[in-house]
Amino acid sequence: MKPNTENRPLDYDVMVVGAGVAGMETAASMGDMGYRVLLVDKNASIGGRAILLSKVFPTLDCASCIVTPKMASVSHHPNVQLMTYSEVDGIVRNADGSFAVDLHRKASYVDFDVCTGCGKCEEVCTVTVPDEYNYDLVTRRIAHIPFPQAVPKKAVITRRGEAPCTFTCPANVKASGYVSLVRAGRYKEAFDLHLENAPLVGSLSRACYAPCESECTRGDKEGTVHIRGIKRFMADRYYAEHPEPEYGPVEKQLATRVAIVGSGPAGLSAAFYLAREGHQVTIFEAENEAGGMLRTAIPPYRLPNDVVDRDIKNVTALGVKIKTGQRVTSLPDLKQQGFNAILLATGASDENGLDIEGNELNGVVGCMQFLHEVNVGKMPDVKDKTVMVIGGGNSAMDPARAAIRMGARKVIINYRRGRKEMPAHDWEIEGAVEEGVELMLMSAPTKFLGRNGKLTGVECITMELGAPDESGRRRPVPIHGSEKVVPVDMAVLAIGLLPSTTSFPADMKNTKGLLAANPQTRQTADPDVFACGDCVTAPTMIINAIAQGHRAAFYMDRRLKGEALDVPFDGVLDMTDKKVVLEESKDFVERQPVPQPALAANVRGKSFECYEQAMTEEEARQEAQRCMNCAECSQCMECVDACAPKCIDFSQKPKPMSLNVGTVIVSTGFKILDPETKELLGYGRLPDVVSGPQMDRLLAPTRPYNAVLRPSDGKEPEKIAIILCVGSRDQTVCNPLCCRIGCMYSIKHAQLAMGALPMADITIYTIDVRAFGKGYNEFYEQAKSMGVQFVKGKVARIERLDNGNMALHYEDMLGEGGHKTAEHDLVVLTVGFLPNTDVFSLYKGEALAADEFGYLRETDPVSEPTRTNVDGLFAAGTTIGVMDIPDTVLHSGAAASQAAGYLERTRGGQ
Amino acid sequence: MTDKRRIGVYVCHCGGNISDHVNVKEVAATLLNEAEVEVTRTHLFACSDASQQEMIDEIKEKKLDGLVIASCSPKLHMFTFRAMAERAGLNPYQYVHVNLREQCSWVHTGDKPGATFKGINIVRAGVAKAALTTPLTPLRIETQPRVLVVGAGVAGMRAALSLAGMGLSVFLIERESEPGGWATQVGRMGPDNQHGPEVVANLLKQIRQHDHIILYTNAELTGKSGHIGDFNATVRLNGSENLTLNVGAIIVTTGFTPYEPRDGEYGWGMPGVVTLMQFRQMLEAANASGGKLIHNGVPVRDVGFIYCVGSRQEKSEECPEPNTHCSRFCCMATAFTGSLLHEVEKKTGQTINQYHLYRDVRTYGRLETVYTKAREDGALFLRWDPSAPPRVEKADGRLALKVHDTLLVEDELEIGVDLVVLATGMTPRPNDALNEVLKVPKSKDGFYNEIHIKLRPVETAIDGVCIAGTAQGPKNLSESVASSLAAVARTGALLKKGFVNLEPLVAKIDTDKCVWCDECLKACPYGAIERIHIGTKEVAMALDSTCKGEGACVPICPHDAIVIEGFRDDQIMAMIDASLREAVTA
Repeated sequence: MKPNTENRPLDYDVMVVGAGVAGMETAASMGDMGYRVLLVDKNASIGGRAILLSKVFPTLDCASCIVTPKMASVSHHPNVQLMTYSEVDGIVRNADGSFAVDLHRKASYVDFDVCTGCGKCEEVCTVTVPDEYNYDLVTRRIAHIPFPQAVPKKAVITRRGEAPCTFTCPANVKASGYVSLVRAGRYKEAFDLHLENAPLVGSLSRACYAPCESECTRGDKEGTVHIRGIKRFMADRYYAEHPEPEYGPVEKQLATRVAIVGSGPAGLSAAFYLAREGHQVTIFEAENEAGGMLRTAIPPYRLPNDVVDRDIKNVTALGVKIKTGQRVTSLPDLKQQGFNAILLATGASDENGLDIEGNELNGVVGCMQFLHEVNVGKMPDVKDKTVMVIGGGNSAMDPARAAIRMGARKVIINYRRGRKEMPAHDWEIEGAVEEGVELMLMSAPTKFLGRNGKLTGVECITMELGAPDESGRRRPVPIHGSEKVVPVDMAVLAIGLLPSTTSFPADMKNTKGLLAANPQTRQTADPDVFACGDCVTAPTMIINAIAQGHRAAFYMDRRLKGEALDVPFDGVLDMTDKKVVLEESKDFVERQPVPQPALAANVRGKSFECYEQAMTEEEARQEAQRCMNCAECSQCMECVDACAPKCIDFSQKPKPMSLNVGTVIVSTGFKILDPETKELLGYGRLPDVVSGPQMDRLLAPTRPYNAVLRPSDGKEPEKIAIILCVGSRDQTVCNPLCCRIGCMYSIKHAQLAMGALPMADITIYTIDVRAFGKGYNEFYEQAKSMGVQFVKGKVARIERLDNGNMALHYEDMLGEGGHKTAEHDLVVLTVGFLPNTDVFSLYKGEALAADEFGYLRETDPVSEPTRTNVDGLFAAGTTIGVMDIPDTVLHSGAAASQAAGYLERTRGGQ
Repeated sequence: MTDKRRIGVYVCHCGGNISDHVNVKEVAATLLNEAEVEVTRTHLFACSDASQQEMIDEIKEKKLDGLVIASCSPKLHMFTFRAMAERAGLNPYQYVHVNLREQCSWVHTGDKPGATFKGINIVRAGVAKAALTTPLTPLRIETQPRVLVVGAGVAGMRAALSLAGMGLSVFLIERESEPGGWATQVGRMGPDNQHGPEVVANLLKQIRQHDHIILYTNAELTGKSGHIGDFNATVRLNGSENLTLNVGAIIVTTGFTPYEPRDGEYGWGMPGVVTLMQFRQMLEAANASGGKLIHNGVPVRDVGFIYCVGSRQEKSEECPEPNTHCSRFCCMATAFTGSLLHEVEKKTGQTINQYHLYRDVRTYGRLETVYTKAREDGALFLRWDPSAPPRVEKADGRLALKVHDTLLVEDELEIGVDLVVLATGMTPRPNDALNEVLKVPKSKDGFYNEIHIKLRPVETAIDGVCIAGTAQGPKNLSESVASSLAAVARTGALLKKGFVNLEPLVAKIDTDKCVWCDECLKACPYGAIERIHIGTKEVAMALDSTCKGEGACVPICPHDAIVIEGFRDDQIMAMIDASLREAVTA
């Protein structure tokens, strides 16, 4: 980043980074002196760590009493501008001594200007994550206000990219969202959410290839969440309760007319979203029934017709007209009929033939033709006959498995590559094999043999794999002389489909017969004609076609309303980093997948009954529990509905800005040492070993359990151990420093615990008791006189006892000495602190100097406290080393006076 | 006032501090039956920003003309809520703060019905008072852009420089003939190894160069009149000449006095028993001459250090007024001395065994490195307990240090040493004359008392007078300087604006009733009463800017001629009546 030009006016006299006690104190002080202050904090609320405390030593004022006045004073200060939920990206010093600053407000997905802090979004939010403000003792919702005293009291929604399932779905169906809604028992809401991205919920719940599941993070653990199974439950439940859609045509109807050619998933989807915008939509369908491939190509054991019918009602309820049995052959005709825009969604149901001898024989059929007959009930006669299906894709599986159901004696799938290379889904192939389909691999037909014009057999040749072809797969090469004849009564060709575009002029098509359309907008060369689905892309998944229909509808709507098309269709974030999710979920309980209920292979092969069955409510919710909330926010959109002032905006983006400020004060605080690094003390392994900060939450007025309870079983602890210097004064964790506040906050814990639990015995294990500040030693003496036991001795390890309590092994340094054991039912680890080294990345000029322990270094702590090696950049509070609140307040005052001096020196009189 | 008042009553849970012991909902519901009360509500934290916003909205919406908030002590949040009232368009002096926490819930923890009953009554008293409030306007006082800094130790000198750097004029006065204070006497200081006299010399050089700082030595503050923003300070120079300095604010950096051991305390009085300060001067001398550390003409072989001398004391017959505080700096300073001693060893080849007799080693935070280094440098640490403190006796021309090491052996150890060094703590300076002038309150430990250690740590009950450095309590040098710069920030905030608003809650004298008997003059601790003439009549007048509204004059007046705004007799009587009236319960 570059410095600003000389003499650029200041946006603020001073920027303070970090609004904990130090930042607030400094900002208020500078503001009081009349300087214009910008106070930036990356969190949603100011207040830092101190606001999370229970009470403060040695006066036992509640933390709120100390911190809220500071919070209120900066938030109402006429000279202080707060910028919460914002991060500083870089600072450099300008030639005139001022500083250029790049920063951005993070996307909170809530318009702070409108949010009233009512908390409704929090109530309805369906996802919980560990609550960082309670040091993970309990959970919080994704849409949340950090804590009751938050300033500003505004909700934020934490999103961590797009969930892998949602990101992967071509239509961006909010899988994470409806899964979390099913988990919460809100099935109708789940269904409605699905409609926002894809209207054919029932068909997808039966026949979608569910790319979402292949990306599911849980797949890297016990097994992927069966998202489609959850959807099946949700759709079945909804359709059972709602035989008809709950809505009719939208209120605001427009005069614009749209013709859609083809009633497959792409056309239906586009019709749905166009009709929701109020356009008059007519679908023209060549077949006698609507649904396209959903109806004609997918056998009923996978997708029954009544489900397709019900799905189509979702579209027609909006007033969409479907004219069946009407093949469109001329676009000008349509235009003449008064349609303002046309969408071509004719699909790809024409078939590739096989150009070998005998292909004209009776008994050689295309797979679409075969399935069409199956689906309209004109069952091909295959009973007790041998059927060979040629091809290895999913479209080969359907005729093969249908043939089994129709009583074929033998069904063979003939494929020219190996099992591994088969493009069909594994589970399809496995299902087929289970039902009795035989695989004839590394084999290709060379000739159809017949008698009296009727197929009797297929001559096949054995193949081997040669060099890779352009698709990267190894090209099968025939082995000469390996021909043999297989007796076959019917051969079904499933070797690829062609776009159904024969009736359209050649100038609209490419050499493969596909319609040419802008990949972003789906607009063709004729601006009023759009095209989408298989006729543009070649055969693909249902969900792809639906996605394209939605996209085409979006741009057609804009076109019809005279709006520009150069806007993005969706605001999808980058995909969540699964590694991060997996790392954080190390301690999650194991959840095995709920088995998918299904008919046994020997039963299902005998009829067209759906072999896959719906989960029960209980099973579906249990399966939904397995979702790991990868992206935190599931986008279930409940908050959007619940928010009365309508302040939730999922399209919000981070808002960058560049400023010029006169001086900078960093008060970025410290970090807390992870107590798990002291493995033998059991934190993270033993539930009743808590950290000091957690103990503060247990004792706080806004405490998570509303009582001091131990986490494992909610029992009131009776024998509490507090262990000092955990990870402080400790070379084994490379932290030789004293934490400076541990002794005092532990004595405070002891005194507060004695108040909350008058019967409890409290023992503090110490090296030294460092009660050094004003009134501190007296506070220590008071704790002793209240009956708090102080034991000089290091605790070596903690073990769980059978009775649920813990045994502490320690060295008794006074008294008799030696190794001793004591039993406790709650153990508090007074953890050490670490520098917040994030501060060093703020400054982009010469490196900010650190001391040997990683804290920001004061160049001369005696004569020039708070001054750093960068002239004009000052440090306030624990950034330079952990200290208690009184010392922090003084140090912050010093920073303010130093910064004021700097401003007078560099900009005196301005 | 004939129109019915419209008062809002807000009762705070204080997150449980109040609501655990007082049924706040009942208090709120009952108060709704008071004739002048328009609305009552409870808040989990009334002080939180969101609660304040709700109250502001309601004050505006319901056009309230009086406000009662029953919460914590007014010391914590009275100003918070006054500011809130102002933002709501309500005169801040029509707000009444009821202390439902310290005066009710915290003192009646076992009796919720009783505490609730009392709570209702004290809130009703608050309502009665609020009903009689009138809008008041703060007194605006012009401030003088000059500061008096009392005490030219490092803290005072550093404060002076920063004040001057902010464009304020500074008078820096020092009672001694030389500035610098204790830092001039200790040589190198831990933990940064800075040399005290050099630090002082460097600051002094800057001060001398600065146009806006006038340094007076041999100067004592002997009088102070005026008020925040405009004081007249009388300074006596060289014991005779008097100087009057007009300043807007005063910063007190008068430092500490080292603890003086009692005769016989840890051998004090015996040859060879010295304080840490004395020992440091011996070391300085040895270091300066490059020679060995000599005592009684022979090289020193063994040195014993006794920590916590004059600190962390318990009450006993010999020590009726114990210093219970920890002096904070001495563990680090003594351990650091151990390392300095080791330097002598390294330079001269002299072998010196050092024994550090401590209670707890309080080298907090980064200072831990000083302790670690001392042990690496050969300091041996032995822990004693106050039940058996170390004893110093004469033995064979040397000293015997007898100690029960609580960590190692049961028997008493006897260590032969040449010198015993007492790490004496910091005690408040006995500045009676100055205290008489400043009137800054002291805390229990005898050091000057701040208003609140976390909220207003350098301000005092005397508006315009800040304290800093070790005058407020023990500190090491960098902590002293940090606090003095904090005082600079406060002072800057006061004086750079050019004016200050003062409380209008001051005494008003009814000149018809007053006959000038001078009782109020004698009762006033602030010198706010002046005699004036109205026509031929002599009457008393209270100076608004000096009066603190403290009220000593009111009951003493034989003619009932004085009221304090905000605490008028009619208000107090109404409060008493209201709290005694039977409540209409909800």
